[in-house]
Amino acid sequence: MRRVLLFILLVLPFIYLIITVQDANDPIKYIFTYTGLTSLILLIGSLCISPFKKIYNLLRYRRMIGLFSFFYAFLHFMNFYILDAELSLNFVLKETLDKPFIYLGMISFFILFLMALTSTKKLFAKFNKWHKFVYIVLILVVIHESMAQKVLSSLEYSFIVVTTILLGYRLYNYKKA
Amino acid sequence: MYILKKQNWHISENEVTDETLFNKRRDFLKLGAAALVSSSIISEKLAAVENSKRKLLKFSKTSFGKGLDLSTFDQASTYNNFYEFSLSKKDPAKMAHTLNPNPWDLEILGEVENPMFISLEDIQNSYPLEERIYRFRCVEGWSMVVPWIGITLAHIIKKAKPTSKAKYVKFTTMFDPEQFPDQKRGLFGNIPYPYVEGLRIDEAMNDLTFMSIGMYGKVLPNQNGAPIRLVVPWKYGFKSIKSIISIELVEKEPLNTWKMINEKEYGFYANVNPEVDHPRWSQARERKLGSFFKQKTLMFNGYEKEVGHMYKGMDLKRFY
Repeated sequence: MRRVLLFILLVLPFIYLIITVQDANDPIKYIFTYTGLTSLILLIGSLCISPFKKIYNLLRYRRMIGLFSFFYAFLHFMNFYILDAELSLNFVLKETLDKPFIYLGMISFFILFLMALTSTKKLFAKFNKWHKFVYIVLILVVIHESMAQKVLSSLEYSFIVVTTILLGYRLYNYKKA
Repeated sequence: MYILKKQNWHISENEVTDETLFNKRRDFLKLGAAALVSSSIISEKLAAVENSKRKLLKFSKTSFGKGLDLSTFDQASTYNNFYEFSLSKKDPAKMAHTLNPNPWDLEILGEVENPMFISLEDIQNSYPLEERIYRFRCVEGWSMVVPWIGITLAHIIKKAKPTSKAKYVKFTTMFDPEQFPDQKRGLFGNIPYPYVEGLRIDEAMNDLTFMSIGMYGKVLPNQNGAPIRLVVPWKYGFKSIKSIISIELVEKEPLNTWKMINEKEYGFYANVNPEVDHPRWSQARERKLGSFFKQKTLMFNGYEKEVGHMYKGMDLKRFY
């Protein structure tokens, strides 16, 4: 039951997007911002579960949150491929090789894609270790999000602070172990 | 004796809510519900009301931009980069009421024989206003088409009689933290203030270079740079500086705000050029406001015939 509720909760941003994009001034940009931020926030959410597990154990919901983070990243990529690049693979490749802003996003998306593929129980047992790459994704996506701005605002600084704390916590635990 | 004992639910006539008031309550509830549904719809309605309130201008139509598909007033007045208010493009429309565009004296100074102040009335009364429909292309990749009302910059500059030392023109936005909230934040502001832009003198005197005091038939809404702003249609939008308080004729190239913030990405010239990409995104195509599909960006934003000669022999990759 809780799982269903969580699922509905995580689909809601998508429904909201479909409604609001119709009167957006700059729809392509709006979709980029909206799906990108949703994906990043869910990614951070999924990474906060493990540090808090002693206080409140939500570990069994982590996979679904992570998969939804990938889902919004996928929409983000499709927006780039379909609306922004107008289905031109040539353009996608050229931009990816040419511009750090784009390849940081592409690398992150590729890692998230591999993680989503290996997220079944069986495969996760095997590739568990590799899923630590999610921290690389977090760093790259926070840089990517900052690069999407002309000047940084408090939102970007918040992402940087949260990322630093999460990485610090991981490193601290790793050294202790 | 028969005593009429009132039940406690019996109330006298004068305590009864009047029917009109009763209906008002329903309207009020509806309004509240509407606010919950969408505050953006309400702000759009307010923008429409605002447009009907703004002062009408007398102007003559011109052939500039004939056949272009106009953006709506709503699009042009609710999607604004005006960092003196906010980094968000939707906020200026809600916040710009703190700007007081009247009275306003525009100062012309520097390398001129007649330094002077021009009031907004002077501009409206001493020049015939014209309407020009221009493409407007933002460096971020979106674009619109706006019917501006104003006069050419050349009109204003000629009146002040520039000297032979006047090689460049430096424009400055009003600095007043009381009117522009972000200017209060000092070092923590979105960008350094006051906002400064510049043009080469030949660019400034070009017939396309426009000083706008209105759009869509009426005076400029505050968020669009009231009371007077520059419009340079062949350059990226950040060159078209808003709420100008002074125009200074100078000998050396002025340092414009975006070049000062990030010289590698924003130059002095900022000519619209589909072949020279921004380091982070392509400039080959653009997103016209309201559209899900992109369109080709034109060289000099479609004004190559009028302005191309000014850049003959110049390396446009180097002077971006």
